[in-house]
Amino acid sequence: MAKLEASDTVVLGISLDSPAANAAFAKQIAVTFPLLSDMNRKVLTAYGILKPYDVKGDKYEWAERTTIVVDKEGKIQHVEQGNGAVNPNSAVAICTDLHKPKS
Amino acid sequence: MKRIVTAVVGLLLLMLAGQFSATAQEDAIAKTNLKVGDVAPDFTLLANDWQPVKLSDFRGKKNVILAFYVLAFTDG
Repeated sequence: MAKLEASDTVVLGISLDSPAANAAFAKQIAVTFPLLSDMNRKVLTAYGILKPYDVKGDKYEWAERTTIVVDKEGKIQHVEQGNGAVNPNSAVAICTDLHKPKS
Repeated sequence: MKRIVTAVVGLLLLMLAGQFSATAQEDAIAKTNLKVGDVAPDFTLLANDWQPVKLSDFRGKKNVILAFYVLAFTDG
């Protein structure tokens, strides 16, 4: 996290949990960045990352694990999906790189 | 000769199997249509303190890592 703050980067966690659930989750895992609540799935739908899950025969749609790096111009610089997206190292490396003055 | 045919068929089957499992894996990921270079669709969502957070508020100020996770209290 210190590396990220140094590279002018903020992290936003996003899921379809309620703000109340996210508040308890944030406390449990002691995160310092905001956890955003997409309860009506508008962002997950807009980003096209709703994934069907089957739990004991019932169908659900939750987020696909996804990491997206957005630069200061609002442009996407990196997309990582699936289980690899749990590891933040590549996103951190990209942000550190974005922070370097362009030559 | 028979052995060679068996080997070739076996190899073909292996290749096919590989292709199928690769497709299945790809299908398993809900792939975004967004690409590098696209403008990230803007949004406003409530944070865990019930305050709205708007993506475009960071424009010109910060890089943003959007970390989508499946559900709170699970491993990712």
